[in-house]
Amino acid sequence: MAILANPRLVGELEHYGAGDVVKCYHCGNCSAACPFSKEPFIFPRKSMRYLQMGLEDKLRGNLEPWLCYYCGECSEQCPREAEPGEVMMSMRRWLTAQYDFTGISKLFYKSWKAELSAIVAVALLTGLGFWWWGATHGDIRHYDGPQAFLASSFVHAFDWIMGGVLLALLLTNCARMWWFSMGRSRINVPLTEYVRRAWLLPVHFLTQKRYRECEKKRPWAVHLALMLSYVTMLVLIMFFLHAFQEGPEISWPHHSLGYLATIGLIGASVYALRGRIRRSETHYKHSHETDWIFLILLLYVAVTGIVQHALHRFGAGHAANILYLAHMMGVVPMLVLEVPFSKWAHLAYRPLAMYFSELQGAAILAREKSAAPAVRARAA
Amino acid sequence: MEERRIGVYVCNCGTNIAKMVDCEAVAREAEQLPGVVAARSYKYMCSNPGQEMIQQDIRDLKLDRVVVAACSPRMHELTFRGALQGAGLNPYFLEMANIREQCSWVHEDARAATSKAAALTRAAVKRVVFHEPLEKRYVDMCPATLVIGGGVAGITAALELAGADQPVYLVEREDHLGGNVARVDLTAPYLDSARDILAERIARVRENSNIRVLLESEVQQVTGFVGNFTATIRTGRDGEVATTEARIGSVIVCTGYQPFDAARVQSYGYGWFPNVVTSFDFERMLRSGRIVTDKGAPPRYVAIVHCIGSRSQEFHPYCSRVCCMTALKYAHEAKSALPEAYVYDLYIDMHAFGKGCEDFYRRSAEIKTIFLMYRKGSAPEIRQAGPKYDCEMLIRVNDQLSGEEVDIPADLVVLMVGMESREDAGKVARMVNISQDKDGWFIESHPKLDPVATTTDGVFIAGACQAPKDITDSVAQARAAAARILGKIARGRIEVDAVFAEVDEERCSGCRMCNELCPYVAIEYDETKKRSHVISALCKACGTCVASCPSGAIKARHFTDQQIFAQIEGVL
Repeated sequence: MAILANPRLVGELEHYGAGDVVKCYHCGNCSAACPFSKEPFIFPRKSMRYLQMGLEDKLRGNLEPWLCYYCGECSEQCPREAEPGEVMMSMRRWLTAQYDFTGISKLFYKSWKAELSAIVAVALLTGLGFWWWGATHGDIRHYDGPQAFLASSFVHAFDWIMGGVLLALLLTNCARMWWFSMGRSRINVPLTEYVRRAWLLPVHFLTQKRYRECEKKRPWAVHLALMLSYVTMLVLIMFFLHAFQEGPEISWPHHSLGYLATIGLIGASVYALRGRIRRSETHYKHSHETDWIFLILLLYVAVTGIVQHALHRFGAGHAANILYLAHMMGVVPMLVLEVPFSKWAHLAYRPLAMYFSELQGAAILAREKSAAPAVRARAA
Repeated sequence: MEERRIGVYVCNCGTNIAKMVDCEAVAREAEQLPGVVAARSYKYMCSNPGQEMIQQDIRDLKLDRVVVAACSPRMHELTFRGALQGAGLNPYFLEMANIREQCSWVHEDARAATSKAAALTRAAVKRVVFHEPLEKRYVDMCPATLVIGGGVAGITAALELAGADQPVYLVEREDHLGGNVARVDLTAPYLDSARDILAERIARVRENSNIRVLLESEVQQVTGFVGNFTATIRTGRDGEVATTEARIGSVIVCTGYQPFDAARVQSYGYGWFPNVVTSFDFERMLRSGRIVTDKGAPPRYVAIVHCIGSRSQEFHPYCSRVCCMTALKYAHEAKSALPEAYVYDLYIDMHAFGKGCEDFYRRSAEIKTIFLMYRKGSAPEIRQAGPKYDCEMLIRVNDQLSGEEVDIPADLVVLMVGMESREDAGKVARMVNISQDKDGWFIESHPKLDPVATTTDGVFIAGACQAPKDITDSVAQARAAAARILGKIARGRIEVDAVFAEVDEERCSGCRMCNELCPYVAIEYDETKKRSHVISALCKACGTCVASCPSGAIKARHFTDQQIFAQIEGVL
């Protein structure tokens, strides 16, 4: 059955940064240059073809963009400057918007003004809310103790409520991702296979071992450091917030990990920002507005976090509380808007895609193997 | 028979001959033949030292005949004839034995190849004994030229010749000059206006007193030979008809091409779907500045389909060369006229070989033309779209670059019709005595080295009548043909090869059998004498008439029976 092509797709993806895809004339150099491109997932050429032709459904169910870590080898080899690496990146943005059922993601990717306004609005709401709570329940001069402006128990409860909502949104999007790529596809993967290979998920999540297969190792190291720092910080805050906020004694096991994570976050985000400003590497040459917003927010949150901590430990309770407010005004918009709707979501999508693609690949190979004798019989 | 003094020169051709033939042995064997006074082998006989060696021997050993055993005479016969002449010998006292193309290159057994080379050399030695001194002859060159066809090639050739103050008859069938280019809007790849290109040139043709433009005219007949043709041109249609007799020295055929009839490919529904048009229909829309469907609305989806009638086993196997870039030109023009429209380009292979063309292809992609690659033999299918679609038609394409079968929307489909030789090209070919290939295109003298001359001296071809060609190449050919003619005019007379057939009037019975057989129409029948005679300027010395003459009245100079029998005897 022929598929109806949608000629508007290229124009649509242009908003996500895929404008150069039209230059591609399918020499295939990119797929040859890519260290990951292996049967049955030969990319990026074929994904680029789906996009050019406007095969929207094919592209929506396509996991290949997530298999790419954007080492930039393909873009460097492209004779027509079609920027395959950036096109794959753009397709990841577009897929993020497709997985999101609310339409908010699409809005943010298409208009940075909308995203920025949403960030400012959420930040102001957060600031006002926390200010009101602090003023009615504590004293701004006290960071900890019974009169604490923002008691850790309150923030902790807030974090868990917010976390729950965001996780629900993210899981819904992940379910949609599964439906597009696996559920409605004709490739049938038995449930037992899902279970048998489930270990792939944490492995890809924690090691990003595929990224290491790229010829350049430094991007992998920076990316891994950033991700591990982020996850460490998330775990520390979600489970051990009290250990940081209460004093005066310092719980070193928590704090040393926290400091390490902070160094990782600041170091990696400064490295990435500097790279994007200088366009020092292929994968830093093109920056979508969402890339800037993500990195700036990350750096802002890490810096305000460590500064409020330092002020607290040096006894400047008043100033520490103000910085804490400022910190929360960064953290909440970052999590609320980035986790389900923007760049942060790839933390979930990418390992999922690795997992799904392994299942899909095995199913395709099995199907080919079972089809092979029939072909041979026909040939005979 | 007086004793000859023959020199035999065996060329090694580097290793081309020497690797398979023992050249020294061939020379030694030739040395034993009667009349041979010197036989040498040398690395490169055609080189200056090689030629000087022959000339030295001619002077020192008083040679009167020379045999060169080397490559094909097509390659170096003129070189060695020149060497003979330089040493004061009649150039026709040379005979070549082809021991390269007919020997070393085609054999694998060195001993057998050597013995064959020796046999060929022996045959040449036997033959050269009977060579006669021949003298070149000259005929007058009339400076006027007949240009058939007033398209861009014809106009260019006429201007080039007239610019050198030579008279030109420019004959055009239509009532205006410009040919197919006059039907075109912009040109690829620089998007210059065809109208601008033509208007200026046509104005110059009109102003030039050396050019006589004959519109609504056709050449009826061309007689005579190089430098001395007479053309009969008929002007006017029905009713008033005038006839012009023109004395001319050369002819340039610039009759161009005709577009392929798209209705012949039924799957595209040309003539059935109102919004399926040909490239020339689309040019008309572009020129009028109104790109619309039959409903009068601007199309939202324009699909351009390549290779209509070209590169197909069913119609024409060849590539029409200009359609790919013309299609890209349409993509540019459609996008600029209808910025909101989506343009699809359905191709088999994109041929972007010309200067600036690859860049043009790239720019066509950058303006978001959607390219789909279909397979030769699996043509896209067009069908009416139902009411649930926002387009007039759907085109089903099996895209080769994704392996997916897709339906694409289309409001207007442009079929890139290929070029084919004109229906009446055969008539023109017979009139000026040139040949056509299996597709009807006129055949040039040599595809690489002599692309505008034909096998008939004085008749040249330029433009798309030779093969599908763009404006650039047509203009280049027209200028090349003009330059060839101006060279002849500058010399004032034409050298005629001394090798041709002669009729012995005493023995000719006037049966006229040879008149019909001569492939070069070089034999005339004299009604008063009741005898045939050969127009030496037209004769190519093929020997057909010699073999056919029942009275044995025709003799081919340089190919006498005596010479050929001696050669056969030698090779046996």
